[in-house]
Amino acid sequence: MRRYYLLIVILGLSYMANSQTFTLKGTVSDDLGMPLPGATIVLNPSHFGQATDANGNFVFSSMPKGDYTLEITYIGYVAYKQLLTINKSMDMHITLFPVRQTLQEVVVTGHLTDPAHKENSLTVDVANTAFLKQHMGGDLMKTLDRLPGVDAMSIGSGQSKPAIRGLGFNRVVVVEHGIKHESQQWGSDHGLEIDQYAIERVEIVKGPASLMYGSDAIGGVIDLKQSKIPEPCTAGGNVDLTANSNNDLIGGSLFAYVRKNRFYFTMRASVADYADYKVPADSIDIYSFKAALHNRRLRNTAGEEQNIHFSVGFVEKHFTNRIFMSVLNNKQGFFANAHGLEPRRVDTDLHDAASRDIHFPYQEVRHIKIVNKSDIFRENYQWSAEVGYQQNLRQEWSNYVNHGYMPAVFPDTLPFDADLERAFDKYVLSGNTKISLRPFQNVESIFGLSAEYQSNTIDGRGFIIPAFKQFSSGVFTYWNYRLPNNAVLQAGLRYDAGFLHTDAYYDWFESPKGEGSDEKIFVQRASELDRSFSNISWSVGYVATLRDFDFKVNLGKSFRMPIAKELAANGVNYHHFSYEKGNADLSPEVAYQIDFGLEWQSEKLAIGLTPFGTYFVNYIYLNPGFEHDRLYGNGNQIFTYSQSEVLRYGGELHAHYAISSVLRLGIIGDYVYSLQTSGDKKGFALPFSPPASLLLNARFEPQGTKTFVNPYLSMDFRLVGNQNAIVPPEEKTSGYQTVNLALGTQINWNKQSFNVALQIQNLLNAKYFNHTSYYRLINVPEPGRSFVLNITIPFNKSLNN
Amino acid sequence: MRNLIILSLLFTIFLTGIYGCQKEEIDDQKPIIDLTDEDTFPLSCDTVYFGEPFTIQMSISDNKELGSFNISIHHNFDHHSHSTEVTTCDLWPVKSPVNPFVLIQDYSIPSGTALYQIYQILEIPLSNENGIFDEGDYHFFISLTDKEGWSTQKGLSIKMLQR
Repeated sequence: MRRYYLLIVILGLSYMANSQTFTLKGTVSDDLGMPLPGATIVLNPSHFGQATDANGNFVFSSMPKGDYTLEITYIGYVAYKQLLTINKSMDMHITLFPVRQTLQEVVVTGHLTDPAHKENSLTVDVANTAFLKQHMGGDLMKTLDRLPGVDAMSIGSGQSKPAIRGLGFNRVVVVEHGIKHESQQWGSDHGLEIDQYAIERVEIVKGPASLMYGSDAIGGVIDLKQSKIPEPCTAGGNVDLTANSNNDLIGGSLFAYVRKNRFYFTMRASVADYADYKVPADSIDIYSFKAALHNRRLRNTAGEEQNIHFSVGFVEKHFTNRIFMSVLNNKQGFFANAHGLEPRRVDTDLHDAASRDIHFPYQEVRHIKIVNKSDIFRENYQWSAEVGYQQNLRQEWSNYVNHGYMPAVFPDTLPFDADLERAFDKYVLSGNTKISLRPFQNVESIFGLSAEYQSNTIDGRGFIIPAFKQFSSGVFTYWNYRLPNNAVLQAGLRYDAGFLHTDAYYDWFESPKGEGSDEKIFVQRASELDRSFSNISWSVGYVATLRDFDFKVNLGKSFRMPIAKELAANGVNYHHFSYEKGNADLSPEVAYQIDFGLEWQSEKLAIGLTPFGTYFVNYIYLNPGFEHDRLYGNGNQIFTYSQSEVLRYGGELHAHYAISSVLRLGIIGDYVYSLQTSGDKKGFALPFSPPASLLLNARFEPQGTKTFVNPYLSMDFRLVGNQNAIVPPEEKTSGYQTVNLALGTQINWNKQSFNVALQIQNLLNAKYFNHTSYYRLINVPEPGRSFVLNITIPFNKSLNN
Repeated sequence: MRNLIILSLLFTIFLTGIYGCQKEEIDDQKPIIDLTDEDTFPLSCDTVYFGEPFTIQMSISDNKELGSFNISIHHNFDHHSHSTEVTTCDLWPVKSPVNPFVLIQDYSIPSGTALYQIYQILEIPLSNENGIFDEGDYHFFISLTDKEGWSTQKGLSIKMLQR
């Protein structure tokens, strides 16, 4: 009997020993000492996981004694792994280093091995500040153009809009501070209103992401982040200076921050001013008409930009609240010899007098954004909410021309200026909220809600879309199931509903009703229209790692609500000789897509392939018919919004090979094929299909010195194929080759450091055409050789002394 | 070494993707407005008179099937726009319009036609309810489509005068 007592006592003691628990806490920061909020921490074999809070802190309380593996991952940073024996409470400080030696040199990209990356079984690319500075182009999208599967649809040298795997306009969502950026995405001459100096990280989701981001994310997402929070009791900032020899750009940005304990404040002011850009041609061949250029500059493409940002934040251990405010202004001239496709005779004396002045035609945009973002970080859940207000005012100015039946002399009785061609004024209110829970050890579940309201008014002499109001909302849930051996199974479901109302519109001038009839009428271009839409989207994915191989697959259904232009356009786009007509009966666009990701890595070599295939049940496109219209179209060809089945496939390839510790070779390739399989344009491709491209890179990183830290010299050779897959009214575009050089270093001098990045873009001054450029149809070549210099000077101070 | 082989293999696959991809046959030819016939009217710098009919004569063609065409005439007193022809005519000085002439007219083409001769008599009135039309520089603009939706435009500078 005593033996039994003894056994009980021993069991009891060992139970007590086992039940003794400890606390593991720590801080995660980057190589510059900035805390990394939102880094993923997993403690195995317990499968305990959490994310760091706003100050980069994490806490695992009540951990039983034992051996664990601590894994810390943050997209764009090298994963941290450590074996730990927990037999007392511990406090750790962990530094993560940006991904340098792997695919970053070709492209900064997330890794499939990275559990944070596994949050999405779709392909995700990441670009950080270093990438943005080293490859800086005329605007954010031109900078990101180097990434595989990402294209800039440019409108001159300072503006462009995003396209992912050949889908752009309203099929790509741009997110800033968690709020969807809303402007006039549908417009071919619209550029993205984003200050590229203000961006710290860009995450690009390639493929249909409607599940997390709602309607419009059918082609992908560009998620812009300014997530870093200054450390307590510090002040600092940086100065950026940029110059470009091609368009004589002078630009810069001043950033400053200050943080006491719980409150911080940041401000940024950016300016850019550029002249008409230079092309390697003496004249532009607009149809058969040769428009001579002055000093090889594209007449009247100068522009200017002024942006200002403020943010205020409150940071607690488990809670942050931040307010971001920004006002962006830009003004940009359009090529004077053609307004769109329409050739114009120009006053060359006026335009050629100076290269920096902006005359008609030009556009002016002002974008105001206020976002409040709250986050709660807890051990067992994370909650976030964003509320945003945006106003986008866009005006197109050009000399009054009496197209069609417009009066020869502009009447002075109208409420708008004769030279105001079009204006759009949009107000947007949006909100999102999301909670992540861990109901079971191996399961993470996310529940979210989002809603957005838009009101858009119009002005000016030209009519293309009616004024409209639109509301959309969605509710979604997303589940991550962590299987043994590091595999993850994911599934999500989303329901969206929305409605759209358009106002009626009548011409401000009279048109003769019929041939040979004297009766004149004010043509009604839009009638009141109310449409409502709903949709269920879903996605399933699987991510696995087998030795050096990483594999992922995702299958999903995405959708997009038709926009006002597609439903109710009814006007002449004189820039394209087209009479564009909406179709009130369009149904929401639905796409099914399968995505694969394959990556193999060894010490010296890494290869990744990301193929995809998409089937659009009813792709919405502007179909050029064969008829003309007199009364509504003023004699122009009728283009009607139609829907057809579309098949798309393609993918990206990226690889790098380290020849030695200082020299690396890399490859980035992308290819997209699209085919309309039904409807009027059966057998044709989709408009703006990017040609196949291959980028070969060699990068030399010699050992630095005390004064010159991390020097680099990098050369890109870009090989772009022909684009013969076209659809009316496009032109075939020949392939081309370009060479870009980049070199830079950090210079430490007298306790002050400077980051210098110099690029020579289009080194050989090659004349080539970009198939997705706004000016492609009038044969405007891409910019010639440009020297681009960027200098960043950081400064900071501790407030403790 | 094995790594290099894998790399060059993938590279080759990609190059093949870029240059080797042949699309199935689609009509990618624009229709043609031919202004070289001897009888073509109007040509750049031609003159037409108010109150008198004139005949548009042009040959148009397409590799498959023509769609439709449109003719418009509008003033160019401000020298604003779209001559697509290389020839430049002597323009009158820039002036403000008072009562300029405007014409917009759609024309269909019999279906199944690949080659068509435009022979269209246009009556140009002397005046409208606002009085006689302004004399001077005008644009004669023709837009042509084929059945697939490809289009071609020609803009010609003409003089319109009162006789």
